[in-house]
Amino acid sequence: MNILEVKDLDMSYKTIDGEVEAVKKVTFSVKEGESFGIVGESGCGKTSVAMSLLQLQADNGKITNGEIIFDGKNIVGLSESELREVRWSGISIVFQGAMNSWNPVVKIGEQIREAMREHYPDKTKEENTKKIIELFDIVGLDSSIIDRFPHELSGGMKQRAVIALALSCDPKLIIADEPTTALDVVIQDQILKEIRKVQDVLGLSLIYISHDIAVIAEMTDNMAVMYAGSIVEMGKTEKVFSNPKHAYTRMLLESTPSIVGPKKKLRSLDGEPPSLINTDSYCLFSYRCPSPDDNCRNRNIAMELTKIDSEHYADKCCINCG
Amino acid sequence: MKNEKDIAKSIRREALKKNWRLFRRSKLGMIGIYIVIFFFLLSILQPILFVTGVWNKGVYDPVVGYSEQFQEFLVVECPTEYPTEKYKNRSDCPGRTEVNVRTLYYSDAEVGDYIIQNLQPAPPSREHILGTDSLGRDVFSQIMEGSQVAFILGLLSATLGVGISTLLGTIAAFFGGKVDAYLMRQSDLILMLPTLPLLFIISAFAELQVWHLAVVLGTIGGLGGSVITIKSQALQVKVKPFVDSARITGGSRMNILFSHVLPNVAPLALLFMVFSVTGAIASESVLSFLGLLNIDMSWGLMIYLAQVEGFIFSGMKFWWLILPAGLSVTFLTGGFYLVGRGLDEVFNPRLRDR
Amino acid sequence: MYKYVFRRVYQLIIVFFLFLVSSYVLFDAIPGNAFQNLLLNPDLPPEAYEQVIKLYGLDKPLSERVILYIGNFFQGDFGYSYKHFPRTPIELIAERLPRTLMLFAMVNIIAFYTGFLIGKILAWRRGSKSETWITVTSVFSYTIFYPWWALMMLWFFGYKLNWLPIGKFLYPEKWYDAPYDSDVIFVSMIKFTLVVSVVQILVYIYTRNIESLSMRRNVRFTSLVTIAILSLLYWNQGDLAVQKPYAMDIAYHMILPIFTVTVVAFAGTALLTRTTMMEVMKDDFILTARAKGLSQKRIRDRHAARNALLPVVTSFIFTIVTIIDGSVLTETIFSWPGMGQLILDAVLEEDIPVAMASFSFIGVFALIAHFIADISYAYLDPRIRIQSQG
Repeated sequence: MNILEVKDLDMSYKTIDGEVEAVKKVTFSVKEGESFGIVGESGCGKTSVAMSLLQLQADNGKITNGEIIFDGKNIVGLSESELREVRWSGISIVFQGAMNSWNPVVKIGEQIREAMREHYPDKTKEENTKKIIELFDIVGLDSSIIDRFPHELSGGMKQRAVIALALSCDPKLIIADEPTTALDVVIQDQILKEIRKVQDVLGLSLIYISHDIAVIAEMTDNMAVMYAGSIVEMGKTEKVFSNPKHAYTRMLLESTPSIVGPKKKLRSLDGEPPSLINTDSYCLFSYRCPSPDDNCRNRNIAMELTKIDSEHYADKCCINCG
Repeated sequence: MKNEKDIAKSIRREALKKNWRLFRRSKLGMIGIYIVIFFFLLSILQPILFVTGVWNKGVYDPVVGYSEQFQEFLVVECPTEYPTEKYKNRSDCPGRTEVNVRTLYYSDAEVGDYIIQNLQPAPPSREHILGTDSLGRDVFSQIMEGSQVAFILGLLSATLGVGISTLLGTIAAFFGGKVDAYLMRQSDLILMLPTLPLLFIISAFAELQVWHLAVVLGTIGGLGGSVITIKSQALQVKVKPFVDSARITGGSRMNILFSHVLPNVAPLALLFMVFSVTGAIASESVLSFLGLLNIDMSWGLMIYLAQVEGFIFSGMKFWWLILPAGLSVTFLTGGFYLVGRGLDEVFNPRLRDR
Repeated sequence: MYKYVFRRVYQLIIVFFLFLVSSYVLFDAIPGNAFQNLLLNPDLPPEAYEQVIKLYGLDKPLSERVILYIGNFFQGDFGYSYKHFPRTPIELIAERLPRTLMLFAMVNIIAFYTGFLIGKILAWRRGSKSETWITVTSVFSYTIFYPWWALMMLWFFGYKLNWLPIGKFLYPEKWYDAPYDSDVIFVSMIKFTLVVSVVQILVYIYTRNIESLSMRRNVRFTSLVTIAILSLLYWNQGDLAVQKPYAMDIAYHMILPIFTVTVVAFAGTALLTRTTMMEVMKDDFILTARAKGLSQKRIRDRHAARNALLPVVTSFIFTIVTIIDGSVLTETIFSWPGMGQLILDAVLEEDIPVAMASFSFIGVFALIAHFIADISYAYLDPRIRIQSQG
């Protein structure tokens, strides 16, 4: 049962310099209880995808095409009040940099209760507080945090509280956008374990977004690799890791050191992410591809995933390149 | 191999162009700048009209000009009780083209006669777009003169004030310790003094002219609260890593002050300057309005004269004596304020529209 | 910690001392003195003038007078007013102060409240057509040429429409056989306003703990209505029933000045709120609030505006500090006999004791207000609270 199906999603931002196509023809689906990873470098569009799912993109961003079907219903084009019902109680999100997710002048407990009040207006304050204590238990926080202000907590505590906040309205799908980027490795490990535990206990679906391929390997069942706004490879995590087909995926994997096996020289990817304005005329990866075809830079490439096997897809161009 | 200086210059030019583009996107800033330019054109228009001979100085000079205007008036006798058939209430008699027989001291005219009298202040006509005041001086010319006064005064005092407070603020931030304490207490002292009464006192022992007033306003403004704000901004810059690296690489204190700290404090200082101009123009207008200044002509003075000669309560009958001056002060100060808001958007990315 | 406080207080005393000395020297530097008019009177021999000068000690050299004055000042002796002998400056200030406070306290409260509301809405609706021109109108309200505006209002409402009285703060005719002095009435009006405001604030603070929003609104509304009813009853019993018509007279005279000043004052707050809100709106926690599914109004009021409150409250406190300075113009134009007029007259007539006392009052007032500003800032921003404790 697919809890989420994204079909041909296009999203772009209007800027002074032109229209930036941040998300191009993105298609994927997430089953109930599954954990799905999205990996890619900074600026590849993964956060834009996350924002689109909740329609939280900035004022100058707009979904120009596509469908997002959550729990059987297409949420693109819904009115603001309808969307508000989906937000948090259907899909919730743990932001990058959870430090700043908190309003500095309101107590933590009050900020969580506020969300609960919005979606469960009939519950009393005691019921809500009790639930928060349970959630804090799951994420490993003391109940005294409820009456504290955000600046009184450490980074790790704030992050855990954000997870508790994301769980507070019993969502079916949680999006975690680089939740551990700003934390040290030890805390990171703890948080990841908490998230896994929460998922198992509550049976939630999870979309995990990161640029750290190692974390994706550890946390996800299925994954997608994004580059310059499109998905270039997608499939079961094991299969993508053991048999990466797209040139970009291969370069990503080869640039991460391994602590087992013989020492290998790392390959890194030269260059920078391409500009996303006016992108129709050439293969976006061609400028960094180690072995581009003459045609690559001139063809009008439509990103299209071809099947490699039942659970593994990759963009038909760039397979077996480089 | 480009010279370092050339590179620096072209970087600065690029930055300026970018800032101008950002400014143009600010609706408030653009409205403000149009208003300021409008009044600036007014202030240079007047000398041009005189120099090119379009305007005869004898007639149009805002201070000593005189325009003869005569009109025929019907002599009437105003009743003691209102309302009557002809007049609805007291202010309707005498009408625009009438004169009350009781005010004619030197004439033997009777009720029903027509006499020719001097018409001052005269309503707007083809020769005088905004009419004349009670001394026969062209009001439009006065507005332009007032515009010159406003610009000179505003810019002079603002520059002086901002110069002083930037210097003192940076020095306080940089040298700390006793110097800082002294400067902060000095600012406290100035802040404690009420400005308006202070200006009264100063104008009481010196008849202030435009330049004097500008210096006074600039100094008081410069030594006051703005020192504290600039100092906190300078402090923020001081703790930035590039200042430390400048010191390590051997820059002297003065060098760091001028080439690193000042440029970073400059946006705030510029903002202050623009807002100081509004304060200066307003202060001058208020002081002129109270008759405390020795300025030949300014907008505040125009309102002062209108009030002293009793034209305010005549309402809309003599509107050209009251409205243009008041509106000019309002709009020019508003214009500068809007420009300040526009600059705010340039310097603070969080305030931009997108 | 204590060393810091001690140092600040010691510096403050020095500053105040310098303030007194420079004020006195400044006043004295004004050419002429308070008694010059005596010379113009043809019936008085010049010796009379000399005698008066000697009586007031004005023949002594400046340095001696300054020392004497400061010495007396710190013993609590502020001398007698030159022009209104034998009234002391304290008496005069005590008489005039409630009048100014009443007027300008009302103005600032209304202006602050409406300004914050409008600024909040303006920032939230950034970029819409109405936002631009309302902001521009606010800017022109803020920079309007005040004397001109006040005169226009006076003419329009007082003269043309004859709705409101021109100048002064009461109709003398109505007060001929009044059993009370205007000051007494003023004081009871101020007491009343103070009590009502405090009660309102307490209600506000206590209702913050109520979970459900609609109930919170209902409780606050009911409390407002209750206060209104109680006030009516309060003013109709016993002593106060007698005071009521006089209080009403004063209130009637306050309408025009309050309106005139509020129009200018609210614009400043509105513009400041707008700018601060615009900055806050770019913070990450606003995004979180949207993600939580909260309504626009909720986000605007509870998250954005709440954070924008801090600088606005600080500016409010500083406005209170400059109340007397700002009141000079208004009181002159509306003939409202308050502190502003007192200072102006004292300065122009060289009534040095009164002028010095008023200036000192303002100075002390400013220092206290700074202190209150610091405290309230700590209350509103919990981050500072912790820092100041630790």
